[in-house]
Parts: sequence; structure tokens; C-alpha cells
Amino acid sequence: MACGGRVRFNVGGQVFETTTTTLANAGRDSMLGALLDSSWNLPSSSSPPPPPPQGGGVPEYFIDRNPSCFAVLLDLLRTGSLHVPPHLPEKLLYREALYYGLLDHVRAARWGAFDGDRLRLAASVPGRAPGDGTAIRAAPDGGCCVAHGGAVHVYNWMLDERRPVSLDHSQVNDAAYLDASTLLVAARERRHHHRGGADGDGGDGGGGMAAFSAVSGELLHRFRVAHAKQAKPFTAGALAFDGGGASVFASCKGRLNEHGVGVWDRATGEQADFFYEPPGCALGDADKLQWLDGASALMVASLFPRSDNCFIGLLDFRAKAVAWSWSDATAAASALGDDKRVLHAVAMEDGRSVCVINQYDDLGFLDLRKGGGTGGGVRWCSRSKLMSRKVLLPGEESCYPRLATHGGQLFSSMNDSVSVFSGPEFVLTSTLRRSHGGAICDFSIGGDRLFALHNEENVFDVWETPPPPII
Amino acid sequence: MSGAPKKRGTRIEPFRHRVETDPKFFDKSWRKLHDAIREIYNHNASGLSFEELYRTAYNMVLHKHGSKLYEKLTENMTEHLEEMRVSIEAGQGGLFLEELQRKWDEHNKALTMIRDILMYMDRTYIPTNKKTAVFDLGLELWRDTIVRSSMVQGRLLDTLLELIHKERMGEVINRSLMRSTTKMLMDLGSPVYQEDFERPFLEVSSSFYSGESQQFIECCACGEYLKQAERRLTEESERVTQYLDIKTSEKITSVVVKEMLANHMQRLILMENSGLVNMLVEDRYEDLTRMYNLFHHIPEGHPTIRSVMASHIKETGKSLVTDPERLKDPVDFVQRLLNEKDKYDNIINVSFGNDKSFLNALNSSFEHFINLNNRSPEFISLFVDDKLRKGVKEANEEDLETVLDKVMMLFRYLQEKDLFEKYYKQHLAKRLLSGKAASDDSERSMLVKLKTECGYQFTSKLEGMFNDLKTSQDTTQNFYAASSCDAVDAPTISVQILTTGSWPTQTCSTCNLPPEILAVSERFRAFYLGTHNGRRLTWQTNMGTADIKATFDALTYREIEQATAIPAADLKRCLQSLALVKGKQVLRKEPMSRDIADDDSFCVNDKFTSKLFKVKIGTVVAQKETDPEKLETRQRVEEDRKPQIEAAIVRIMKSRRVLDHNSIMTEVTKQLQPRFLPNPVVIKKRIESLIEREFLERDKTDRKLYRYLA
Repeated sequence: MACGGRVRFNVGGQVFETTTTTLANAGRDSMLGALLDSSWNLPSSSSPPPPPPQGGGVPEYFIDRNPSCFAVLLDLLRTGSLHVPPHLPEKLLYREALYYGLLDHVRAARWGAFDGDRLRLAASVPGRAPGDGTAIRAAPDGGCCVAHGGAVHVYNWMLDERRPVSLDHSQVNDAAYLDASTLLVAARERRHHHRGGADGDGGDGGGGMAAFSAVSGELLHRFRVAHAKQAKPFTAGALAFDGGGASVFASCKGRLNEHGVGVWDRATGEQADFFYEPPGCALGDADKLQWLDGASALMVASLFPRSDNCFIGLLDFRAKAVAWSWSDATAAASALGDDKRVLHAVAMEDGRSVCVINQYDDLGFLDLRKGGGTGGGVRWCSRSKLMSRKVLLPGEESCYPRLATHGGQLFSSMNDSVSVFSGPEFVLTSTLRRSHGGAICDFSIGGDRLFALHNEENVFDVWETPPPPII
Repeated sequence: MSGAPKKRGTRIEPFRHRVETDPKFFDKSWRKLHDAIREIYNHNASGLSFEELYRTAYNMVLHKHGSKLYEKLTENMTEHLEEMRVSIEAGQGGLFLEELQRKWDEHNKALTMIRDILMYMDRTYIPTNKKTAVFDLGLELWRDTIVRSSMVQGRLLDTLLELIHKERMGEVINRSLMRSTTKMLMDLGSPVYQEDFERPFLEVSSSFYSGESQQFIECCACGEYLKQAERRLTEESERVTQYLDIKTSEKITSVVVKEMLANHMQRLILMENSGLVNMLVEDRYEDLTRMYNLFHHIPEGHPTIRSVMASHIKETGKSLVTDPERLKDPVDFVQRLLNEKDKYDNIINVSFGNDKSFLNALNSSFEHFINLNNRSPEFISLFVDDKLRKGVKEANEEDLETVLDKVMMLFRYLQEKDLFEKYYKQHLAKRLLSGKAASDDSERSMLVKLKTECGYQFTSKLEGMFNDLKTSQDTTQNFYAASSCDAVDAPTISVQILTTGSWPTQTCSTCNLPPEILAVSERFRAFYLGTHNGRRLTWQTNMGTADIKATFDALTYREIEQATAIPAADLKRCLQSLALVKGKQVLRKEPMSRDIADDDSFCVNDKFTSKLFKVKIGTVVAQKETDPEKLETRQRVEEDRKPQIEAAIVRIMKSRRVLDHNSIMTEVTKQLQPRFLPNPVVIKKRIESLIEREFLERDKTDRKLYRYLA
């Protein structure tokens, strides 16, 4: 560009002057990038160069858009940080950013890198239907989805609701984002499926597992479980996929003996394997699956109340064996009066241990390097004595606790708050709590955000880390 | 843009319905884009305002005209491409490709600009409606309207294939045009490149090389043919780097390999007068390298080369070791083996990249044929004997080291290592006692080699021999130090005290010693037994030497025999050596016949002269063993093997307790293999002997089982 790379814009009557260097931050695949590209600024043989040479030869471009939003976006290109003046509605800014093709820039600058100890409540989104919220899942790009009943409500990162994924009245058990635009959904098979299965497809009692577009809500692919080369209807429970992104796993329960963990090839969507549950390992009922990269194994946890006893196992698919397992079957029966029940489990990020939680909000650890066994083995940290737990009012509903790990931190939900534990000893460092919405029935971390789904009214909170301070 | 506000002014409509109610909104907007696209295709875009066009497209999408816009765009772009097709089709001969290339470049530039205008649609309408993005749409339309149109598709392929054929025949073609054309196909997606070009290209190449190889193989020698194949492979891989997709490399290589090499592999390798065997015989390293490298591409290539090489080595080796002519000279025999080994080591090193599997084949071939001749152990020991006798005289110690290392290679091939040990011991004893060991260092280094190869047991006795010599020296010195005063006139003796067992057993043939010697000997015996209690000394007079000063009368054979009591065979042999070797006749024999009769008389040959100060007279008998001696050695070896086999059986049974017959056989064989290959019949006999001596017993129910009795 002429004149030391200076460029002038007249946006809706207001003049801005900037440099091509600043504009280069927008990238070639943006409106501003194209506007300045040489193919659109060819010197013409017949007519004089398009930008009028006023103002000392600095080229000027007219843009018929809102100037105050342009000011914010130009500032974003200049500094990389987003400052939205109080009077400017966010939605307006987003719309303008989309016009310029800068929405990704805005999203990246909107909130900071995730840190459990610096989270601030960013938004609280009222739910659609009261009650019955089963799960909330964070999308890799900052959006999320909420499963309740036979539908999954999908929100983009601006927290606008998209077209929901409808499962035709099959109860959703679990959901997972394969990527920002693909959603896996596991659903329960309907008990009385219409027209008595005359469709011959075998898979149409509803239920099972399928991939949907998170953008349009369309069905993309239905994952089948075949036995003796025949597709069978089944109920899919928990979902997981491996770190390398090659396989998708789901706990499955068919009508006959198809109980276990199904494996599908992620690229083709075809069934790759099926791990039938051995006696004593309730794999088909699993509430939680988690892939462990280091061990190349899948953690399977079947938990109360779906099964009477907690069973946690590591499945080695290459050896077709349960490589490690633990159960509280005998501990529950013991007369010690120690009725600590494992209600949720998560494998720690180092792959060496599994963290569990009981109804008193105690955290416990199971060492994966030692043999599992039954009963003992859990190293409990009796945190319950130290915690000032909220006393539930009569009639107030409580929820089962949940666990998650992220970036070396451990998170647990209990009643109406999420606790954050940090450091090698996992000390309680933060508590996230809000005054309304009731108990938290599920939460999820992803896209540098934490989403917490409340039991009452299905409201969900969005927690994010503010951008780093200026100095 | 200037039209819209005017219109709005004339209508009395609520503001928010402004555009919805303009029935011509879409058409006007589209007209604007349509015109702009035309200008873009006509290289006349400089008058266009990007901002206006972008905003127009934005508004169309915003007002739900996305699908209509998409439709119109598809239609419009197809029209432009059809125009282009007409001018491409008109391109004659070589101009066809150039025109195609020019239009492709134009379309690409235009497409980028169109994509710029429709960027908003790309971001919003297209992902939610699962449409193809604008740029990809442009490529698809180019593919369907031009590349796969009936008029262009065949012509494009033919042109490309013809150019490649020309280049194969040695003509120079416009490679950059080729490159840009194939790049276009790749840009359209790998399926287009593969289906529209690569597959037919590979088919044509396949028939081209099938024909060419037929032609070559009829008239070329193997080496020449391989050179051609190598050149073709290089050419094809260069072609890929010049103007084809890198992924084609593997495919075209496999076509050439299949047509030129795999289909003719057997014929090439076995080709008469020029195939692998000839290359090996003539040490044609370059050809061998080429063959090795080329056949690397074929899975059964190297195994075939290897097996042909191995059977050739076995064949030549067999004829070498079984040739009766060769048995006459053991040193030459072994030298030839070493040369053969060197030859193939070099070939494998230079031409076969020191390939482990080839080295293994070489080793197993040698192992095979060396053991075809059961005298190989003896000959190898003789060869070492020869080297260590002459040793430093011929070569320096370093060279000797390398020769010994090579001999060790041959030694490794031997199955009957114990037989070698027997011979080595005999030969070493002779060397040491006759003082012909040239270098103590070399002797010891050979011992170390044997020790590392076979372990301590193998060499412990040999080391004992060296120690004996050392202590003998000291003892002799002490003897003279102790007895210096008496018997000054007596002859000096030097005694080697050999430990029984360490040395090869000698048939103890005594002889009468002259009284002077006898006296000294007796004194020595008294001295020795005085210092070493409980030992026994036996004189091995047949191994001794003496310097004598004497006056001779003529004596008959019978007189000599009576006086000395030397066994007839030995005496005759000595006399023959002294009297009958041409040029070295120290004694004169009457009559001058070859055989010695009782009455033959011997006297000093006064006429004997020699330039040398010291004359060496070898014994008549060859170094090689005579047949009865050979038989005796063999028997001794067999006898020595018995305890070893028994020890192995006991060791195995001790750890296993119960074992069936076949398992014992295999385990014993496995354990003893490093030394020799035991004969199953012998093993069986040893087992029976052990049962008799109650080391083992047969199981009472299952007769095939043996039990160890502690």
C-alpha cells in the first residue's frame, strides 16, 4: 500500500486511520483482508485508482457499517484485547464481527485461559424445560449443550441457542462433543416402540448412539451394534473417545446379552469391537467412561444408584481383558457402619490414580498401579469434617456429586457449589457458588469455560477466567 | 446502492420491512453481482468496489436469499466455464494444454475474488445448510464443466500420455506445462488426479515396460538388462519429482519393478553366461550391487539371490573339499577355503550392503560343505601349524593375526571341534618339543582365540603344555646349579618335563641310551624326585634330540637295531631320512636300494657337503597322518566323547528328573553341538550304560520315560 502502509476508512461517516500492519492481523480470509488485497486494488487503465487521492495520497475506503463497533474491532486488531464499552450491546458487536469475519478474533479475546482459581460468573442462562436436566457438556469452542428429556439443547459460544437435537422422545443418557460442530448423543431405547418393530431395521426402537451436527441439529450418523451380523437395538449409556481421535466408546445394553462396551471407528463410524461384560463387571450399566492415554485403556465406572455397588475397571482392548478393577461390594456390606458410597469417579490426568467421591463429599484416591480388589484400597481424605457444608432444608433436593479434572486441578460439585482443588496435594483453593438455581446436577469444563447445570429450572451458569490484567 | 434509498422514500412502509417488500431486491442485487463476476472474468475488475459487492452479498444472505444466491452463482459460474471450454477446445495441438492452463489460471484468480465477495455466505449459510464452500464449488464446476467434459477429458489424457511417451523415447518436452497441468488435477482433489490421470498413466506405463522388457531380455546380457532397468527406474522417479504427485512415485516404481524385474526375475538371475553365478565367479561388484539393489523392490528378490548364491557356494565348496587332488596338500586346501571365504566376504560387503541374511547364508553354506570332508579339522590344524612354524619368517605378526582370525572363522564352521582339538594338541606338542614354534606370542594369541570361542576347558590342557615347558627350563637350570662340581665331562642335557595327560599320549617306545647320557639322566631323575615327592618320570626318548661328536664305523642295520633297541619302524624311518633323501645323504647305504634290509650297512658319507652351516633333515614321513594313525585318532576321539555325552545326560536328567527318550536326544545334541555332533546310537548306548550303573532308570509304566536316580 502507498504512504507507509497507512489506510483510511470511512465507516458510516466516521473516519478511522490505521496501518496495513494492524489490518494484517485480521487475516486474508476476512472482509478487511480481502478489501486490501491487491486483486481488489488493481490500477485501472481506463479510470483513476479507486481510492480518491485526498488526504495526502492515503487510500480511503468507505464501509457502510456501524462506526462504534468498528472502533472496538479495530482496537482489537491493534491490541489483541477486547474492550467493549458499557453502552455497546454484545450481540451488536458479535453481529458486526461476523460481518467483518472477525468473530473468531472476538471469541479468542473475550475470555482468558482457563484457571479454576480465577473463575468469574460470566452468564446465567435460563433453561427451557423445568427439571430433568441430565447432563451439560462444554464444547471445545466455548459453546455447550444441555441434555434433558428427549432433546439436547445446543448453545454456541455467544450462548445463543441453536436448533436443538431432537431424539423423538428417547431419553438422553450422555452427550459428548467430538469436535466443535459434531455432537455424539447416547440415548435409552424406548420401551414401547411404535408399530412393533415392523421396520426391519432392527435399530429403530430409538435409543442407541448417533452423531449430530451441533450447528444444524441434523442427524449425521447412527452408530450400530451388530450381533451375528444383525444390527440390534440397544441403550447407550456413557460415552468417551480416545485422545488420538481414532475410536469412540459407549457403554451398551441390548435386549439380550449385548451388555458391554462398544467401540466404533471414528473415521468410518463402523463398529470396530465389542467388549462383552465379564461376570461381576457391570460394563453395560457404566455411568462414566474415560480414555486414559498413558495406559491406552478405558476407565469404566458403574455407580450408585444405577448399580447397587460401585465398580471401576480399566479395559485393555488389545488384550481383551480387564487390566485393573475395584469394587466396593464388600465394603458396603461390612458391618463397620462406614457406609461411604462411591458416587462418582474420575481418572486423574497423570493416569496413575482414580479420584472418587462419596455422599459426604469426601474425596478418595485409588492407585491404579496397585492391584484393585474389593473394599479397601481407597485413600480417603476426610474433608467432610473440615467443610462447612450447607445444611439442606427439608424438601430441598440434593444431587449426586460429580468430579472433573482440568489442567492439573480437580473439581467436585456438591449441592449448590463447585469446589476447586489445586496443587500436588489437591487442597481446596476455590468454591464457586451462586444464590439461586438450587443444587448442581452436572458440570463440565471445556473451551476455557466451566458450565454448571442447576437442578431447579434448568438454569446453567457459565464461569470463565477474565483476560489477563493489563499489567 | 444509490437506487435503494430512493425507492424506500417513495413507499410508505415501516422501516423494518424495507427490503422484504422490495420484490426486486434479489434480482437487483444479483444483477450487481452478476455484472461484477462478468467483469472479473473479463479481467476488468479494477472498476469494482469490493465493499459494495460484499455488502450486497451480505444483505442477500441476511435476508434469507442464501439458497437462491447459491443457485444463481452455480448457474452463472457454469456459464462462464462453458465459454472457457469453447476456447480450450479450439486450441490446436500443443496449444491445447497451454490454453487449458491459461484458462485455469484465470478461473482461479476469478474464483478467489468471487469467494471474497461471498465470504459471508461461506461463513454462515454454507455450514448450516451443508453446501460446498464457494471456492470448492468453483473447483467442482471446473472439474465437471471442463476437465470431465466429453470433448476435453479424453484429449487431455491422451495429450499427457503422449508427452510422457515422447519423453520416454528421448524427446524433450515442456515439463513446466506438464507440471502445472498435473497440479491442476491435484488441486481438483486426489480422486480427480487418480481417476483421470494416474490410473490410465499406470496402465499405459505397464504395457510400455512390458513390451520394452520383452525386447531387452531377448538381446541383453543380465548386467546390461539391469542397467536398463535401473535407468528406467531413475527416470520414472525423476519424472515424479518433476511433474507428478509424490504419491505416484511408489506406484510407478512398482509398475516398472513388476514389468521389468519381477516378471523376469528367475530368468535374469539364472541367465546363462551372465547371470548371478557368473557375476559371483567374476567378482563383478558393480553388477552385483545393482542386482541386489534392484531386487530389493521384490519381496522374493533377495531370498532368491541368496539361495542361488548359497547353492553356488555349496557346490563349488563341495567340489573343492572332495577333490582328491586337494587332499594332498592340507595347507593349500585350507588356503583355498580362506580365499573362497574372502571372496564372498568382499562381495557381501561391497555389493550386498553387508546384509545379515546374506552373511548367514554364506556361513551356513560353508558349514555345510566344510563338514562334508571329515579331515577338515585335521587340515585346519595343520594349516595353523604351518603358519605358526614359519610364522614371522614370512609375514609380520599382524598379518599372522589376521590369518589366524580367518582360520578361526573356518574353525567355527566345524562340527567336530573336539577332533580339531585333538589334532591341534598333537601339532602343538610337536612344535613345542622340536622348538619350532616361531613365536610364543602368536601361539598364545591363538590359544586366547580358541579359549574365547570354546571356553576354558577347551584350552586348559594346551595351556598346561606351555607351563610345562616353562617349569622344565627352570628345573634344568636348578639341576645344573645344584650339580655344578661333579661330572664336568658328562654331556649336557636339557630335559622337558611333561605332565601326563596334558600332552598327547605317546606310544612309549624306549631305546638304549649311551652310557654317558644314561648316567646324566639318572642323576637328573634323582634330583627331580628329590625335590618333587611322589612323582614318576618316564623318558620319552623318541622325542629327544642330541648333538653328537663321534667317529663312525660302518654298521649294519641289525647292529644298529641291537645297540639302540629302537622299534624297527622308527629306526627304518630315521635311516631312510638320513641316507635316501636326495641331496641330503649324510649316510651312505650299501646297497643303495630304497628299502632297508637287515644286512644293509651304513657309514658316514664323506662326500657330503653343504653350503649351509646347519643342515636340516626332515623325516621321510609326511606331516599328514597315515591311514592307521587316522583311524587311531578317530577312535581316541570317539572314546573321549563318551564321558562328555554321559556328563551331558546326567546334567540334563539332574535338572529335569523325568524325561522321555526323544527329549533327551535333542537336549544332549543341543548341549554338545558347540563341540561336536553326537551320534544318536552312541547317546543311546551311553544311556543304557548309565542305567546299568544306576544313574537312571526306566519308568515302570512308560518305558519311554527315564528317571534320574539321586
